[in-house]
Amino acid sequence: MLSRNRWQQAVLLSLVAVLFVVGCGGGDDEGSGGGAGTAAAEQTLKWGLGSEFNLDPGLATDTTSAKLVLNLFDPLVKLADDLEAVPSMAESWDVTGAKVVYHLRSGSKWSNGDPVTAKDYEYAWKRAVSPELASDYSYQLYGIKGAVEYNECEKNCAKLRDAVGVKATDDQTLEVTLTSPQPWFIQQSAHSVFLPVHEATIEKFGDRWTRAQSIVTNGPFKVEGAQPSASITLIKNSEWRDAANVKLERVEGKIIVDGTTAVQSFEAGEVDVLDEQLPAAETPRLKDTPEYELYPGLGTSYYGFNVKDNITDVNQRRAMSLAVDRQSIIDNITQANEKPANAFTPDGMPGEEDIVGEGSPFTPAAGDLDMAKEYMAKAKNPKTKITIYSNEGAPNKEVAQALQSMWKQIGIDSTIKILEWQQFLEFLGPPPPKAVDIYRLGWVGDFVDDINFLELWTCDSGNNNTGFCDKEYDALVAKAKGTPETAARYAIYKQLEAKLTGPDGALPFIPLWYITYPNLERETIKETFKINLLDQVDLTKVEVKG
Amino acid sequence: MSVDPREAVATGTAAPAIADLAAQAGRPVHRASLWRDAWRRYLQNRGAVIAGAVFLLFVLFCLIWPFVTPYDIRSDPVNFQQSYEGPSVKHPLGTDQLGKDLLTKLALGGRISIAIGVGATLAILLIGVVYGSISGFAGGRLDNAQMRLLDALYGLPYLPFAIIVLAIIGENNLWTMVIALSIASWFTAARIVRGQIITLKENDYVRAAKAVGARWYRILSRHLLPNTLGVLIIAIFLELPGVILGEAFLSFIGLGISPPDASLGSLAQEGRAVYRVHPNVIAIPSIAIAVLVLCANFIADGMRDALDPRTRETKEH
Amino acid sequence: MTGFILRRLLWTIPVLLLVIFLTFVLMRQIEGNPFRQTSRAVPLAVQQNLERKFNLDEPWYIQYVLYVKGVFTFDLGPSLVTRDRTVNDIIKEHFPKSVQLGLLAFAWAIVFGIPMGVLAALRQNSAYDYGLMFLSNVGYAVPSFLVATLLIYYVSLKGGLLPTNGWEGSWKYKVLPSFALGLGPMAYFARLVRGSMLETLQQDYVRTAKAKGLRWPRVVVVHVLRNSLIPAVTAMAPLLGFIITGTFVIEVIFSIPGIGRYFVTAISSRDYSVVMGITVLTSVVIVFANLVVDILYGILDPRTRDARA
Repeated sequence: MLSRNRWQQAVLLSLVAVLFVVGCGGGDDEGSGGGAGTAAAEQTLKWGLGSEFNLDPGLATDTTSAKLVLNLFDPLVKLADDLEAVPSMAESWDVTGAKVVYHLRSGSKWSNGDPVTAKDYEYAWKRAVSPELASDYSYQLYGIKGAVEYNECEKNCAKLRDAVGVKATDDQTLEVTLTSPQPWFIQQSAHSVFLPVHEATIEKFGDRWTRAQSIVTNGPFKVEGAQPSASITLIKNSEWRDAANVKLERVEGKIIVDGTTAVQSFEAGEVDVLDEQLPAAETPRLKDTPEYELYPGLGTSYYGFNVKDNITDVNQRRAMSLAVDRQSIIDNITQANEKPANAFTPDGMPGEEDIVGEGSPFTPAAGDLDMAKEYMAKAKNPKTKITIYSNEGAPNKEVAQALQSMWKQIGIDSTIKILEWQQFLEFLGPPPPKAVDIYRLGWVGDFVDDINFLELWTCDSGNNNTGFCDKEYDALVAKAKGTPETAARYAIYKQLEAKLTGPDGALPFIPLWYITYPNLERETIKETFKINLLDQVDLTKVEVKG
Repeated sequence: MSVDPREAVATGTAAPAIADLAAQAGRPVHRASLWRDAWRRYLQNRGAVIAGAVFLLFVLFCLIWPFVTPYDIRSDPVNFQQSYEGPSVKHPLGTDQLGKDLLTKLALGGRISIAIGVGATLAILLIGVVYGSISGFAGGRLDNAQMRLLDALYGLPYLPFAIIVLAIIGENNLWTMVIALSIASWFTAARIVRGQIITLKENDYVRAAKAVGARWYRILSRHLLPNTLGVLIIAIFLELPGVILGEAFLSFIGLGISPPDASLGSLAQEGRAVYRVHPNVIAIPSIAIAVLVLCANFIADGMRDALDPRTRETKEH
Repeated sequence: MTGFILRRLLWTIPVLLLVIFLTFVLMRQIEGNPFRQTSRAVPLAVQQNLERKFNLDEPWYIQYVLYVKGVFTFDLGPSLVTRDRTVNDIIKEHFPKSVQLGLLAFAWAIVFGIPMGVLAALRQNSAYDYGLMFLSNVGYAVPSFLVATLLIYYVSLKGGLLPTNGWEGSWKYKVLPSFALGLGPMAYFARLVRGSMLETLQQDYVRTAKAKGLRWPRVVVVHVLRNSLIPAVTAMAPLLGFIITGTFVIEVIFSIPGIGRYFVTAISSRDYSVVMGITVLTSVVIVFANLVVDILYGILDPRTRDARA
C-alpha cells in the first residue's frame, strides 16, 4: 500500500499525463481534407457562416443552409439581377394555364456519375411535401395539385403520393400540374426547397445522407469535407455543365456564431466575407470602411396589433403608427440604412410602384405627433395601458424602448416584455392570447410576387397573428390568385394593400421598415460577391480579384 | 477556611462582607467574546477592511442614488441626440444608446444584481441550514438517506438547471432569478452546516443540555446554530460572487432580467457590441461586477482569518 | 476497502435514475415547440406527423420508459431539430472538444494557480500576498465574456499572435480559449492552496521541522505542500464538472463546437432529446468524478473511510 504522499503524486502525475495526451490529440474529421488547407489556391473564398447548416434541400430552412444548397445542387431556374427567372438546369419551360412543363438539359451528372434526370426533381419535390420528412417549407409546394393532401396524410400515403401533380414524363421533361394558374410559380421554383436530390443515396443512408462522406450533389460545387458545427469546405465541381465559367476553386466556410467575434475575425484577415452576423451596434463604425456593403432585402419589419380583443379601435392603431419616428429609430438603433416602410409590400417587389403608390398616410418617416394625437382623440375607449411583446436580441430591446417612449407622448403607457424566442413563439399563436397587445415581427419573402406578402392577412392564415379577419379581403386574395395577367393582378394587389394600410385601411399592424442585409466583403471579392433580394448568393459568379 | 460564595448566597447566612463578594460573584464575569476577538483581528487585516468599506460604499450608492438622481430611466423619453455620450458633468459616466444616464443605470443595475445576489445567497443558506441541521442533528438513518439524496442532487449540473428552471417559470424578474440561481447550488452549504452540527453535537455543553432535558429545537436554536453562524457568514460572502457571476452569465445568454429593469450582467451584455467605439458602456458594469466579487472574496477571506485562529499570521521567516 | 468501493458504485445507479427522472420531468414543463424554429407557423398536419415520428404523442410514462431504456442501451435518441444527427452523434462529436477545453483550462489553473497560492501563503499579508490574490481574483471576477472579448482584441487582432476563433487545426487555436476559461479556477486554486498552506504552516510538525534546523524550502516542499494539496484534490472533481458545463460562453465567443454551446442552443430551440441527453451525460460525468475522488479520499485518508462506512 503506497504511502499517502505517493498516492497524491500518482494522482497528480496521471492527471498531467492525461492532459498531455488529450491536448496533443487531434479532432475528428469527416471526409477528406477539411480544416487547414494546403497551399491556398488563388481562387479561394473564406466565408464566415452565421449558423449551423443542414445540407438537405428539403430541410434547409435557415438562410445559411439555403445559400449553401443553392450552390451545391442545380436548380431548374435561377433568378437574374432583375429577379426574372433564367434557365439553369431547365433550358426552357412552357406555361399553359395551370400546367407548367420544364424541359431539362441533358448530359448533366451527379457527383457519383449518375445522370441527372427529371425523375430526380420529381422525387425531391414529392419528398419535400411528404409527411415523413415533414419539412417546414412544404407549404411552398402547396400550389401543386394534391400536395396539401399528401402532406397531411396519416397512413397509407402511397396513393396520395402518386396523385401529387408532379411527373417526370421522360428523362428531360418535368410536368407540373398546379391547383390554379400561378404566374409566379416559375420564379418560386428558384427556391431551395425545389432542388433535386439523389434518391439512391437517400435510400441507402437515410437521415445521414448529407454527411460529407455520403452526400451526392449535382451543382457547381461539391463538398470536400465538413466538421460538424465548425466548418465546411467546398471545391469546384469540374464536371458541372457550365464549369468553364466558374472562377472560384474553393470555398472555406467557418461557422462563427458570435457577431462580435465574427467582426474581429474579419478584421484579422481570417475570413473574406461576413453576411449574417453583423451586430447592429457595430454598423456605425463599419459603415465608412470600404469593406462595408449594403443590400436591400425583400422583407418588412412590423409591429402587429391584437386587433380582435385589445387594440380594437382603428383610430388608436392609426395614432400609434403616426407617433412612430421611423427614421430616428433607423438612424440611431438599427443603423443599417433601412428604408422606412410606407406599406406592407416592400421596396423591390415587382409592381411595387403601382401597388403601393404614394404609400400609407399613417406612416410618415419622421412620425407626426400632432396627427397622432388627433387620431388618439378620435378613438373611443382607447387602451392606454398596453404590453409590448418582443423577442430578445440586440436591436429589439432598444427599438421597443424607443417605441415605448414615443407612445408615451400620445398618452399610452406601455410595459415591455422581452421573451426568449420559443416563449415568444408560444405567445404569437395564432391566435395571440389576450395578454398580447402588440408584438414585434417581420416577414421575409419566399418568392418574388406580392401574393406571398398579401396572403398573410387572410382569416385563416397561420402567419396572421393579429386576429384581423375581413371576408372581403379573403375574397380579393382568392381573386388575385386566379388572375394570371400581371397588370390586372397588380390592380387587385393595390386594393389589398389599401385594405391594409390605405387611408381607409384597417391597419392591423404598424409597418416599420424594409430590411437590408449589411455585409462585410473584402475588396478582392467585393465586386463579384452579391446577395440578391431573397438573400441568395450565386457562387458561380464570384471571382477573387488580385 | 475558604467560603464558597454560592453557598453563602443560597443559605442567606452571609455576612455583609461576604455579601459583597457574593454580589460580585453573581455578576457574570466579563470575558472577551468570540465576536469581539474576531472583529479586532478583522480590523488588522488591511485588505479586508478596505474591501469591506468599498463594498459597503457601493451598496449604499446603489441604494441611495436612484432616489436622488434627476434622471428617471423608466419614464424619461428616449433622446437620440444624446446617444452614447462620453463622460461629462451632466452624465459622469456617459449615456447609453437611447441617451439614458449610465450612472443611474449603474445604480439601478447594481441594486438588482445585489438583490439577486443576496436573495439567492440567503435562499441557499436557508435551504442549506434547514437540510443540513436536520441531517446532522438527527444522525443515523435519516442522515444517511439525506446524504445519499444530496449525492444524487450533486450530479445535477448547476447552470443548465438554472437555465431549465428559468425556461419553465417563463418570466425573468428578480424573484425567478433568485429561485433559478439558488435551486441547484445549496448542496455545499447543506454539507458544511451538517459537518459543523456533527462536530458541535459532541460538545459537552450540548450533552449537558440534553441531559438536563432540553428539547431538540432548543438545542438546535440556542446552542448549535449560533456557533455555526461564523461559518455561515463566511459562506454568504463566498456564495455571493458565484451568484453575481451566474447572473451575468445568464444575461449573456439572453435569459437575464427583462427591460426596463437591468442588472449589471445585462448592462455589460448590451455594451459588448460597441466595445470598440464606446468602451465605457461595457467597462463600467463589468468593473462593478468585478469590484463586488473581489470585495466579497476579500471580506470572506478576512472573516475566515479573523474567526479561525489557526490561520493567524506566522511571523517567522 | 473493496466493500467501500462497491457500495459507492452501486449507489450511482439510483442516483442516475433520479437525475434522469428529474431532467425528464423538468423538460416536460418547459413550453415550446421543437418543430417551430422560425416565426412561420407550422402546418397542423406537419406538426402532427412530426410528433408521431418522434413518439411525442405517447403518454408521458411511456415516453419515460422508452427513454430510460434508451439510456441504459446507450441510445439517447434522435435530435428533434437537427434531423441528420442523433444525440449520440452530437455527443460523440462535441463532447470531447469540451473536455479538451476543460482539461486545458484546468492545466492553466494548476500550473499558475497553485504556485500563486503557495507564494501568497509564504508571504502572508505582504504586498506579494495582496498582489497575487488580487491578480488571480481579477481573472475570476471580471465576467468571462468581457475577458474573452478583450483577449481576442489585444492578442489576436492587435497583436496578431494567435487566431481569433476556432478550435481545430494547430495548437494556436487552443491557447486563448483555455486560458480564458482557466482564469476562474486559477483564482479558486490559488485561494484554496493559500488557505490550506496557512493552516498547515501552523502545525506542530512544521515547527518541529524548522526547529530541527531543516532548510525552509525543503520544509515547504516536503512537508507543507503535500498536505496542503489534499483540499485541492478534493476540489478538482466538482471543478471539473463546472468547467465542462460552464464552457458555454467561451465556446460561443471562440466558435468552439463544444457541448456547452450545443446545450444552450438546444434549450433555446427546445430540442428535448438533446437537452436530456447532455444533462444525463454531464450528471454521469460529475457522479463518477465524485466517486473517483471519494475513493481516492478513502484511500488517502482512512478516517473518512470509517466515518462514511
